[in-house]
This record gives sequence, structure tokens and C-alpha cells, in this order.
Amino acid sequence: MPTYTTELPVRDELDAAHGEAMAEWSRAGTWWTGTQRLAIVAEVRRARDADLLAPWESPSTVDGLIFDGYPLPDAVVDVVWRLTNHPGTLTSEWHDSILGRGVEALAYVEVVSIVAQVNCVDRFADALELDRVSMPEAEPGEPEGQAPADAEVRLHWVPTADIGGPNVWRALSGVPSELKARSRLSTPHYLEGRAVFGDVVSDRFSLQRVQMELIAARTSKLNECFY
Amino acid sequence: MLLGLSGLHQDGEVTFEAIAGSGNGDGGVRHGGLLVRLAEAMWEGEPGPLAAVRDELLAAAGADVLVDAVAVSANFHMMTRVADGTGTPLDPGTDAASVNFRDEIKVNNLVSRRHVPAS
Repeated sequence: MPTYTTELPVRDELDAAHGEAMAEWSRAGTWWTGTQRLAIVAEVRRARDADLLAPWESPSTVDGLIFDGYPLPDAVVDVVWRLTNHPGTLTSEWHDSILGRGVEALAYVEVVSIVAQVNCVDRFADALELDRVSMPEAEPGEPEGQAPADAEVRLHWVPTADIGGPNVWRALSGVPSELKARSRLSTPHYLEGRAVFGDVVSDRFSLQRVQMELIAARTSKLNECFY
Repeated sequence: MLLGLSGLHQDGEVTFEAIAGSGNGDGGVRHGGLLVRLAEAMWEGEPGPLAAVRDELLAAAGADVLVDAVAVSANFHMMTRVADGTGTPLDPGTDAASVNFRDEIKVNNLVSRRHVPAS
């Protein structure tokens, strides 16, 4: 059963990757339950569809945005909105302030991963006027809370494992399941992570590599991303 | 930087002006102007401009290119959030290789600017 109903030529691997991503978000992760992970997905959608808050405005301080018994800590809601709508404004001081509000360093990494992936999947659907992937019921289960033995803060704000490769490849390595999930999503959209710098000339899908890099560069600039 | 490297391997000259925004030509890339407009319309999220550029790209390049271009842009809405959410610094090789054009594409003043600290 395809994830999307459309006459557009959405490649099978891309369609399947989006369905699999949603299924993955509904299961317990390393640091968050399936219910919490789906709440992060829903929060990304709420942040994108809401009237834009300025970067310095935290949704947790706006009356009526977070109800009692909400499955996510206030600080996580603030991360989701800021990272969704103002990713280029983040600073190490802001990151420190989030950890200071009680979010574990690697639990924060899992939030970043889910927010980033949902932005990918939903923006794809929105741009082609497809229905966003529907959210299933959360699967039962508890997060394992296990970190790689060698995870520590090195070059990034967040702890990473010593796995080599480009810095952006290492960024989620403190939560290996998220590194894999992000990579599974990137491959049918663009390239498998380690291949990005390995082959800069081969065409892929219907695009020339130089066309892909122009889109990548313009999108990154719009998001004010120096990397 | 990957734009520059991939551009070395095609016939025409690839330039960086298009990264600064639509209205700066196609950067020497086939359908480059439309691809840049598509990325901008996706970022802005306004239905009208998005539908317009979608139709233009569909007519000029076909449905496969439209879907794949949207997929690439969506991927970089993900990767930028991974990089900026985790405080990822430029890789040393990229850092040195991009010095000459970072100013040209106006990214040196971004809040998200981060380098690997000198050891």
C-alpha cells in the first residue's frame, strides 16, 4: 500500500521511506516513548502551521499552547518550535539553556533527529500538495536509554561517538538508531551520508549532480545554515 | 563547496550567484533559475508561488525532475536542522576549501557560523 496517493512519479523507495519513517516515530526510541515521539511529530506540524513566533518567543510561555498533561516537557516543545521555524538562530548558549531545563544531552539529540526528519517528510508532501503521512497509534514500549560507550562532547555541542566521517554524519552518532533513521531517509532523497563527499559528479535520479547541489545550496542558505 | 566541485565536471561554467537568490540567473545549471525558485517557494510555503513554479518546472523539465528536486530540497531542510541543532562545525577540509567563496555567497555573517577549534 503506497504512502502517498498521487499521479506524480514518486519513486517507490521514496514513498516507502516516508511510510517507514512514520512507523519508526511511533515506536519507542532510545530516549523517548512512542507516544512522546509522535507528540514531537505533531508538535512540528503545529509549529509549522501556526502563526510564526519570533525566535526569542518560546511557545511554552504563550498561554494556551501547552495543556496540562502534555506528553512532552516544556523545554522540548520550545526546541521543536525553534528548530522547526528558526534553525539558523540557534547558539551554544541556547543549547545550554535547554539542557539546564532538565533535558538529557542525548535525549535532546533524539528530539533534533525527529524534528529534522519530520521537516523533511512534511515539506516534501506540502510542496507537492500531497496529504501529509498520517500518524498511527503509538506502539507500546519503553526507551532503552543506552548511550554508546564512547559518546562524549568533541566538536559538536552534543555528545558524539567516534565513528569518523564528515562532521554532519557524526552529529547524531550519540543515538545510533537516529543516525540510521536519518540516513535511511536521506538516501532516497539525495545520497547516502558517507557518499556525499566521495562522488561529486554522478547524476542521480532524474537530476544532474550539479542541479542537486544548487538546490541544496540555496535551501541551506535560506535556512541560514553555515555548514 | 559541492556545487563548485560538481560544476567542475560539466561543460559550462557554474557560478555561485544563484545561491544568493532567484533573479541572479541560473548559475550555469540547467533549469537553475527554476530550481532556485522552487527551493525558495518551498521555504516560504505560500501556495500561490509554489503552484506557479511547480507548473513551470513541470512544463520545462518534467514530473520526475519536479519530484526529485522537491525531494532534494526537503532533504536539506532536514540536514540543516541536524547541523544547526547539534552545533556541527565545518569540516577542516571544507573550511579551507570554501574560504574564497563564502564571502561571495554571503554566509560569513550567519549566526550558525562554526569552525573546528584550532588544536
